Amino acid sequence: MKEYALMMIGAALVNNVILARFLGLCSFMGVTTRIDTAAGMGLATTFVITVSSMADWAVQRYLLDAYDLNFLRITTFILVIASAVQFTEMTIRKVSPSLFQMLGIYLPLITTNCAVLGVALLLVEERMGFLEATLFAFASSVGYSLVMVMFAGLRERLALAGVPRLFAGPPIGFITAGLLAMAFMGFSGISTH
Amino acid sequence: MDTSAAHTVEGIARVVAVQGEIAWLEPEQTTSCGGCSASASCGTSSSSSKPGIGSIANRIAARRFPMDNRGQGLAVGERVVVGVNDRALIKASLIAYAIPLLAAFGAAIFAQASYGDDATTLIAMVTGLFGGLILARIGATWLAGRGELAPRFLRRARPDESCNG
Repeated sequence: MKEYALMMIGAALVNNVILARFLGLCSFMGVTTRIDTAAGMGLATTFVITVSSMADWAVQRYLLDAYDLNFLRITTFILVIASAVQFTEMTIRKVSPSLFQMLGIYLPLITTNCAVLGVALLLVEERMGFLEATLFAFASSVGYSLVMVMFAGLRERLALAGVPRLFAGPPIGFITAGLLAMAFMGFSGISTH
Repeated sequence: MDTSAAHTVEGIARVVAVQGEIAWLEPEQTTSCGGCSASASCGTSSSSSKPGIGSIANRIAARRFPMDNRGQGLAVGERVVVGVNDRALIKASLIAYAIPLLAAFGAAIFAQASYGDDATTLIAMVTGLFGGLILARIGATWLAGRGELAPRFLRRARPDESCNG
């Protein structure tokens, strides 16, 4: 159990998807103008990454490895991710039409989020067991959500701050993202081995 | 419910039908869309406008929602700003996504501890996920029953108001 906990801390903080691996930067800049929308997007992405990682692990183990079809890995994973997003969309629509009206806007964006594919490729390359792989995917996406919400909080404050006109908007956002990435480098001092 | 700007997530919707005291609204997609009034100048606009399966037009049509038109006098074609409480958005996200995931992980950890086999853990996790979705449905019904998920009319949108602000 201790190994799982350390692996999850490593995936969420030390090797953060956004600030250490630089994946999912589109949604990082695009959906972080408000904390609540960032949290909604983060939770939706967490769900999709976890579900698609489960499916990707099963496809890798029982199809690609079994029939020596590893050259089809990226294509297959993209298909699995698109299906996972569609599954999530259909499920939310069935579970609650009201929730779908509220949360459905985020789902199409996740299909094009490279963090989903990146996490799936990482976990199959590491040759993890099923539970370990799924926990790794979950922790990675929790790290993604954490950074999204933190950055949204910073941007909400920046919107009220007296920023010089030259830096207003995306430029100060990128500078803040750089500072946040440097702050997260401090976590690399934590040994998770 | 507090619908002041500080506690509300706002969006622009267009009135597509009026039936008695109910107005049907279609949200303007704010990202990767081509559906909002700024689509001509928007770099993310899409050519997908026919309502085929999975198309943007189809997605937007699926998100059509009713709104009480008493006292608002909304007419077809009007653009309005609607809002939902920000806490309701977080609650809705937690119910829809966190409950199924927690149930799935609970089942997977139990199966792994009991059997230690990947295939059994996989089956247990999928079963837990579907169990969690049933719980999420119950939670969402409860939240909808309290009226927390319904968008509220805030004001009419300015002609130049778009997804870009």
